[in-house]
Amino acid sequence: MSHHTRTRTGGARGTRGLLRSAAVVVAAGLALTACAQEAPDNSPEAPEAEESVDPDAPVTIKFSWWGSDTRHELTQQVLDNFMEKHPNITVVSDFTDWNGYWDKLATTVAASDAPDVITQEERYLRDYATRGVLADITEYSDIIDLENMDESILASGEMEGGQYGLPTGVNAYAILANTSVFEQAGVELPDDETWTWDDYVDVATEISEKAPEGMYGTQDYGFNEPGFAIFARQRGEALYNEDGSLGFSEETLAEWWEISLQLRDQGATPPAAETVEVDAGGPEQSLVGTNRGGMAFFWTNQLGAVTNASGQDIQLLRHPGESEHERTGMYFKPAMFYSMSANSEHPEAAATLIDYLLNDPEAAEVMLSDRGLPANTEVRAAVIDQFSDVDKQAADFLSDLEDEIVDGLPVPPVGAGEVAEIIRRINAEVLFDRLSPEDAAAQFVQEVEAATGQ
Amino acid sequence: MSALGELATIRKSKGVKATKSPAERGDNKAAIFFLAPWFVGLFLITAGPMIASLYLSFTDYSLLQPPSWIGIENYARMLEDVRLHNSLKVTATYVFVSVPLQLAAALALALFLDRGLRGLALYRSVYYLPSLLGGSVAIAILWRQIFGTSGLINQVLGFFGIQGQGWVSHPDYALGTLMILNVWTFGAPMIIFLAGLRQIPEMYYEAAQIDGAGRLRQFASITLPLLTPIIFFNLVLQLIGAFQSFTQAFVVSGGTGGPVDSTMFYTLYLYQRGFTNLDMGYASAMAWLLVVIIAALTAVNFLLSKYWVFYND
Repeated sequence: MSHHTRTRTGGARGTRGLLRSAAVVVAAGLALTACAQEAPDNSPEAPEAEESVDPDAPVTIKFSWWGSDTRHELTQQVLDNFMEKHPNITVVSDFTDWNGYWDKLATTVAASDAPDVITQEERYLRDYATRGVLADITEYSDIIDLENMDESILASGEMEGGQYGLPTGVNAYAILANTSVFEQAGVELPDDETWTWDDYVDVATEISEKAPEGMYGTQDYGFNEPGFAIFARQRGEALYNEDGSLGFSEETLAEWWEISLQLRDQGATPPAAETVEVDAGGPEQSLVGTNRGGMAFFWTNQLGAVTNASGQDIQLLRHPGESEHERTGMYFKPAMFYSMSANSEHPEAAATLIDYLLNDPEAAEVMLSDRGLPANTEVRAAVIDQFSDVDKQAADFLSDLEDEIVDGLPVPPVGAGEVAEIIRRINAEVLFDRLSPEDAAAQFVQEVEAATGQ
Repeated sequence: MSALGELATIRKSKGVKATKSPAERGDNKAAIFFLAPWFVGLFLITAGPMIASLYLSFTDYSLLQPPSWIGIENYARMLEDVRLHNSLKVTATYVFVSVPLQLAAALALALFLDRGLRGLALYRSVYYLPSLLGGSVAIAILWRQIFGTSGLINQVLGFFGIQGQGWVSHPDYALGTLMILNVWTFGAPMIIFLAGLRQIPEMYYEAAQIDGAGRLRQFASITLPLLTPIIFFNLVLQLIGAFQSFTQAFVVSGGTGGPVDSTMFYTLYLYQRGFTNLDMGYASAMAWLLVVIIAALTAVNFLLSKYWVFYND
């Protein structure tokens, strides 16, 4: 880069200028992308002192949730109705898929920009409640009517003397069976009240063998710990004990993964790489949702989304092994919770929205069972006639289960949110034969104990 | 951090000047004036958060609660964090394989485009396009589709009777697809190479031709040596950039760094610790380790440059 050499085009200054500006552009590009990735909005919003609250003054609140496209559409519809009813309240929607939701929520909370109404889940509720992020909802009991809420379900949102979440509805983890795939394979739907884990493996293998090329019997179940919680409960064990410690033996967990490997080796589930890909796609891209597989484990409130995606008749089945061991393992779970930010600038408006979502039949008529079977028993009774066949199936399935279910799960310990990531990773290690089921079980126990501080 | 390389270049070019004339002093005033917006950005957007993160790296900070001081515990934990060590390995593999390939591709195309083609501006833009798009979310999503089980690659392979597989979802190949993505974004270094090629005086080639040197000989004895400052500059910038890669791995793996942590870039692991595991103190400590690693690497780069970079001053 000399001043003295003659160059083919322009003077040295010109080229050096070009070179330098190119460098600046590149550097700026790098800096910009770096900023976009890591610079959080650190400006805390100055909390404005509210002297007197005019209930009709226009306010804007933010409501966050996760979910499928179906849920986003329905929720937007519910919010539009709500805003029509309460013209002074504007609700800003803030939604993502499940995986991105918690990253985003943590960031907005750190930036003092938490949504006013936050959708929560049992694995994270304690994390947020014990750290002072959420408001005790009993303070707003004059706005939110808790009269008709199912008591036993309400208790799941209660901890340390406060009600930090209101359950949206009831759910169960079950098998979704694609009847069209069963038919194409010429395999009968199993009797889910008596089938064993061996039967499950046999049925899945048979479908893979008989169904057209590219179809599989079932989708791998190992990415989610609720499935293992049920497996352990059937054997008289538990994922978490009441005190938050681990309540299962490594042998049980290893056995759970051995069955998963057996399915893979017999071709009942796809090869590992395809399984990873399918799992990343969520309910709509699942094997059952795309009519490429006979069975998959999902929550009952995901039945609507999977049925929509597949366009076929999807049936709910009990887990295998419910009558095989000493007890049943399935349980009811609050699908999700509505929580309120402790720092909401408009708590009254936020409470009004929560009350509408939970207690107004108008909202339930749109949502139906997408957030679980409504927890408000009166609302449930009011909308059950309007349920589509799909929602009715979920409701009937849950009421059939009622007598079989022994008990609920204890509230998961702080750090349980991390377990979702741990099991996902270790399951992939098992599927790709990087870890034996025994080693995987040992590693899972070790990592979960570290994450939950046990 | 990307400013490091830039600063070094500016310092280098400044070192050439021996004395300052009054005119140059006037230039400096103008320079300060024009740099002012950049300095504001540096202090508010870069330096401020960096100092904050240095403080946070000595704390236990869950994002949801105020940070509490714990000394060097975060740094001590890094020594035993197997996943962190794995992420360093993944990142290093990615950087040291894809950056040389990317620079080679950039140089090859720059040489090709430097032959005075008709419509050069168009070609230059076309080849630069991937650089603009490569870091974007849209391209990463496209990548996931192309290398998916039923993606374009497998369809082409299927045409030749080869049974493909899910490239991005297999731990043996996922990182490779990201490397290809990085190589593909050769546009920025290519433009800089082009500028460098234009700077090489024509007379050297004429003299070489008279002496009977062939094309290869001309390339090895004239082009390459005179281009070393540019190669060095590109190398520094791309190494720093590649170490900070995040978007591609985040989108292609759905934020998991999977399968089996095979695409767990350092920055992605940092993000997971900070935002998924709510361990922002540890994540801040990781950020500072990255600063140290990149600074050390860049320093080594500058030291080594003495032995192979040729400044034709």
